[in-house]
Amino acid sequence: MISDRIRRSVRSELHSSRLAQVGLALVVVIVLMATLAPFIVPHHPEAQQVGTGDTEDRTNLPPIGFSTEHIQTTPDGQTEIVREGSLEHPMGTNTRGQDVFSRFVYGARVSLLVGLLGAGIATVLGVPYGLAAGYFGGRTDDALMRGADVMLAFPSLVLAIALVGVFRDSGFHTTGLPDPFVYAARHDILGWVIPRSDHVASMPSSVTFPVTVTLVVALVNWVWFARVARGEAISIRQQEYVKAAKSIGASHLTILRQHVLPNSLTPIIVLATIQVAAIILLESALSYLGFSGTTLTWGQDIARGQSDQRSQWWIATMPGLGIVFAVIGVNLIGDWLRDALDPSIEGEGGV
Amino acid sequence: MSDEELLRIEGLCTRFFTENGQVNAVENLDLTIDEGEVMGIVGESGSGKSVTALSLIDLVESPGRITDGRIWFRAPDIADELIESGADDEVTDGDFVDLRKLSEEQRRSLRGSRFSTIFQDPMSSFNPSITVGEQIAEAVEVQRRARANPRSLDAKAQRYGLGDYVLSTVLPSKKYVTGASRDRAVELLELVGIPDPVERADEYPHEYSGGMLQRAMIAQALAGEPEVLVADEPTTALDVTIQAQILDLLSKLQAETGMTILLITHNLGVIARMCDRVGVMYAGEIVERGTLEDVFDHPVHPYTRGLLGSVPDLEGAGGRLQPIPGNVPSLLDHEMPDRCYFADRCPKAMDECLEHPPAFDVEGSEYHTTKCYLATTEYTEEKALPDGYFDEAGRAADVGEEPSETETGIGTGTDSETETETEADSVQSDGGEPR
Repeated sequence: MISDRIRRSVRSELHSSRLAQVGLALVVVIVLMATLAPFIVPHHPEAQQVGTGDTEDRTNLPPIGFSTEHIQTTPDGQTEIVREGSLEHPMGTNTRGQDVFSRFVYGARVSLLVGLLGAGIATVLGVPYGLAAGYFGGRTDDALMRGADVMLAFPSLVLAIALVGVFRDSGFHTTGLPDPFVYAARHDILGWVIPRSDHVASMPSSVTFPVTVTLVVALVNWVWFARVARGEAISIRQQEYVKAAKSIGASHLTILRQHVLPNSLTPIIVLATIQVAAIILLESALSYLGFSGTTLTWGQDIARGQSDQRSQWWIATMPGLGIVFAVIGVNLIGDWLRDALDPSIEGEGGV
Repeated sequence: MSDEELLRIEGLCTRFFTENGQVNAVENLDLTIDEGEVMGIVGESGSGKSVTALSLIDLVESPGRITDGRIWFRAPDIADELIESGADDEVTDGDFVDLRKLSEEQRRSLRGSRFSTIFQDPMSSFNPSITVGEQIAEAVEVQRRARANPRSLDAKAQRYGLGDYVLSTVLPSKKYVTGASRDRAVELLELVGIPDPVERADEYPHEYSGGMLQRAMIAQALAGEPEVLVADEPTTALDVTIQAQILDLLSKLQAETGMTILLITHNLGVIARMCDRVGVMYAGEIVERGTLEDVFDHPVHPYTRGLLGSVPDLEGAGGRLQPIPGNVPSLLDHEMPDRCYFADRCPKAMDECLEHPPAFDVEGSEYHTTKCYLATTEYTEEKALPDGYFDEAGRAADVGEEPSETETGIGTGTDSETETETEADSVQSDGGEPR
């Protein structure tokens, strides 16, 4: 399905475009970070280190290279406490003493999973829908696309919140995805293979994955796929080769599969890439508003750090940077694919 | 060549319902085609030739529709099966089946296996993203599945479900195009004279020249070993030398397989070279039909004479070509007068022509008929309509109505004939000498 010509043009575009290289690098780093999270993070992302007298208070530590000073009033008078960032907590800690960097790394997992799966589900829903509408045309098209227009009429965030409200009590609101590395590290035999197995074994054994949010972002975004696929199908339907395929007795399904789908893939691939970024943003917004059901996401961490923005700016800023880099990276990849696959597509701007 | 009828079209009407009104692209068309013959249909652009072909294989696209008429096709096996399943006389007539009465699924199962089509523009008739070999193999495979159970008219075997699709993506062995169908595709490419068919099968359509693509398309059409091959302007998009090669190929294949060919063209040279019988189409009707000799040597209808007069005569040099004045009339229903449609361009229009002529038998072979009063009445000066008669009549009729547009609706009516040609262009003589 992917011809040499396409491979060549994707490669040459990557060589000539600096932005494409930056985007690819960003995305590769984020994907590696998310996948290998247990090996990278220095601390358990949920471990709290609040001073109780016995243990040292490690809350609100600044990131490496920064320092904070604040006046502490004790019965002995006032002392000025200066705290410096250390390598142990490269991005500092939050108000509960959790390591911000560990949470940053683990947050990438949820964002990426939701982004990729959400875009995948949206593609699977929207593309056949749109192809059928465009290919059959006439009343079928009208009926299908008016339904899609109804979905478009709602602001996506409002629709998403409403859908979360419908699904959140349904028992599959979130699910725990087991972490294979941690399982392997805890295993008697496999543990030998895993480097730093003691450290990895102490990491959380599963990732809380927001099922409803994934479904909801797909349900909100599939319409875009339907619209693009429909437009492609309408133009391909009129091609002579579709008529030729009909004249040899091919069925509608064969024609859709063999002729319409492969020729409409290019804009769909580009759209899917850009939608991954859009869905990462939407997921962050939902978890920021507290609809996600998970506690370890970038959006949730922004919401938590928001109130301390004045004194502990890093708590909200670090996950914010995570979102920015992920979205920019994915968008740059989308631009790269668009330029490489079909220079004639314009106006499918990024998020 | 046997003289048995294979196809009998009775009163075929195909209409296009456009925003400007109803377009009568094919109007009450009668036609019989014998088994093993090459039947030609010739006419100007916009005369309804291509729509006739599309009607035959049931590929008229919306907003067009076949509104009336019957297409009897001789297929004893299908007729038997239909009678067994309790079909009435409406659907079958002896060995003949009325194609229009079959379900859409049944009609689809006939495409490729009984009817195949070659289209005008080979360049756009292949999917640019799939290799030529795969596309021919696809046709082979469609037919192989349809024939897996030869008794099943509804060709359940032809269904290729979603499950198969998922499997074919996962398991290479379940691939839609199998090794056997690929081998057959290579065989077919060899049959139509593509050099190095094994290598060429893996090339994409843009790597082929126009003539080779047309050969490949013929290979695709032959995949199902059809009984009737509908060739819709098969050589129009090709240059003259390639035209001759393609026509030779078609003749050779026809001689080998004995299939019936319905050849649609605006090129009288092609007709003269290829056909046994010929029908001349004008404004959606067949105005004259007969054997090649009838039509070329003893034409009756002034339109046929006009067409023949527009062909340059290479041997008898000198003398200007005599184009037919005017254009193909509008086929919009409300603008079609109830008279001979050709009368306003006819040099011999007379009083009788104000009534629509029926088909008259004419001397010559038994097939020779024409829809012209000249077949029975002699043209005399007294009966002639005065010059400019139709201009005035037209103007009188147009009072209060929109100005009549000569070409309106034809573009939507016949998708494959996008070019609007002048008369001299649309009847060419290149591509072959009269045999």
